[in-house]
Amino acid sequence: MKQLRIVKSIIIETWLGFKQSGWSNWLVISILAIALTIFGGILQVTISLQNLVSSWGSQLEISAYLKDDNDPKVIANEIKQIPGVESIEIIPKEIAWQDMQKSLHVASVVNPLPNTLHVKVISSNSVEDVASRIKLLGSVEHVRFPLKVARRLNQFRQFIEISGLALTAALTVATLTVIGNTIHLVIQARQREIEILSLMGVSPSYIKSPLILQGAFYGAISGLLAMAVLWAVHLYINPLITEQLLGFAPLVSRSMEVSILQTFAILMLLGVAVGAGGSWWTSGRYIKV
Amino acid sequence: MIRLQNVHKNYGGCPALTNINLHIAPGEFAFLVGPSGAGKSTLMRLLYREEAPTTGMVFVGGVNLNRLRANQVPLLRRKLGIIFQDYKLLPRQTAFANVAYVLRALGVDEREIARRVTSALCVVNLENKGDAYPDELSGGEQQRVGIARAIVNGPPVLLADEPTGNLDPATSLEIVQLLARISERGTTILISTHDQFIVNATRKRVIALRQGEISSDVDSGFYDAEPSAMQNIEG
Repeated sequence: MKQLRIVKSIIIETWLGFKQSGWSNWLVISILAIALTIFGGILQVTISLQNLVSSWGSQLEISAYLKDDNDPKVIANEIKQIPGVESIEIIPKEIAWQDMQKSLHVASVVNPLPNTLHVKVISSNSVEDVASRIKLLGSVEHVRFPLKVARRLNQFRQFIEISGLALTAALTVATLTVIGNTIHLVIQARQREIEILSLMGVSPSYIKSPLILQGAFYGAISGLLAMAVLWAVHLYINPLITEQLLGFAPLVSRSMEVSILQTFAILMLLGVAVGAGGSWWTSGRYIKV
Repeated sequence: MIRLQNVHKNYGGCPALTNINLHIAPGEFAFLVGPSGAGKSTLMRLLYREEAPTTGMVFVGGVNLNRLRANQVPLLRRKLGIIFQDYKLLPRQTAFANVAYVLRALGVDEREIARRVTSALCVVNLENKGDAYPDELSGGEQQRVGIARAIVNGPPVLLADEPTGNLDPATSLEIVQLLARISERGTTILISTHDQFIVNATRKRVIALRQGEISSDVDSGFYDAEPSAMQNIEG
């Protein structure tokens, strides 16, 4: 019961903090919402592109041509153990030969083709590694894969990841600064209460809790606003993308569906974490026992 | 109840207190007097651990404040009542809410808060002013709200830092008499002041500080703002 009363008291203090902050509440929420919207937009594009690149990457296929007198199923099982392998399709040499004969009208000679394994990987960045490990198998005669495409896709993915991280870091710093300044203003406005509470023996954690809660609320409200904006943009943009990129449309559209949910979850978590974290840091800096 | 042993306090190499040795027994009422800059406020801040001594030991209620960790400071302060010259009341809260403020923060039950606050306001003769806001009260009444807030938790020690500094002589005397009545119930009280009128009218123990050192310590003394005028009227 005592803990409940303390929680109630903290909530009341948080509400008073909001009331005292007045217009600066909306200032901080606006700035934070703008930062989160930009961040969310870029994040969404990044996740979509990553998903897309991954999808393309997984389309990259490694062809492993086997030496004769080896059981393709046994080798396929061996290759399955290699990390990064998504699936393996066995093309027996008889079927490959039949197909070739049908399409090229080849004369009836002895089948020169080897048994072949088509190996799909989970992501483009594992293509090179998986291919080199397959090459090491004694039962494999030759391995072919689109090396240049794999490398380009990897470079593109790395660029997206690094620029996403850099942008996240920059926006986090900017957001922390805005929240820190706002909470500093709240602390200054409530200096007397804080001083009295401290001198009367109220614990610093109680004194800081309403400020941290206030920061978390800023983050949550800003996160919701950013989500609303991004959702509206998503609804507007998705049909356009479907229309413009007809070839990739199903892939892009599905990537965006997944990424907007991921973005919303990240925005809420980041908003609350940055809001609460910024307040915690500022209150720790300015409130001393 | 309060004990200082060989306490020194320096600020950037400049001594604020020098070799302070002091003992105040439980239930005792004492004045800490001296001109501005004598070190009264520094000594008071050592007692509620707003500051730590440079060297020496400080004990309050049997607790060695030198060994107190930062997270234990709030526990010490709950055993103290602190009264300030500027009252430190919350302007947008009533007298009742001001006194109840810290109790709510400590999670005390509302009925218990009502009982304790009403009782504390009765002690300071403000039982009918609970709904008044600070700006509707006189300076003396505001200080009495400050006293009610200091005693509401039933602390064994009351520290008053220049409690009459903003009051006229008649009201100052009223406040000190009120504190003397509280002391009769067993509370140890230390008042820092440079107001010779209240000291001389009360005739309690007087500890005089001069340039950071205890220049005299007499029972039932009186104080003259002029240096070296400390006398023991019973001696």
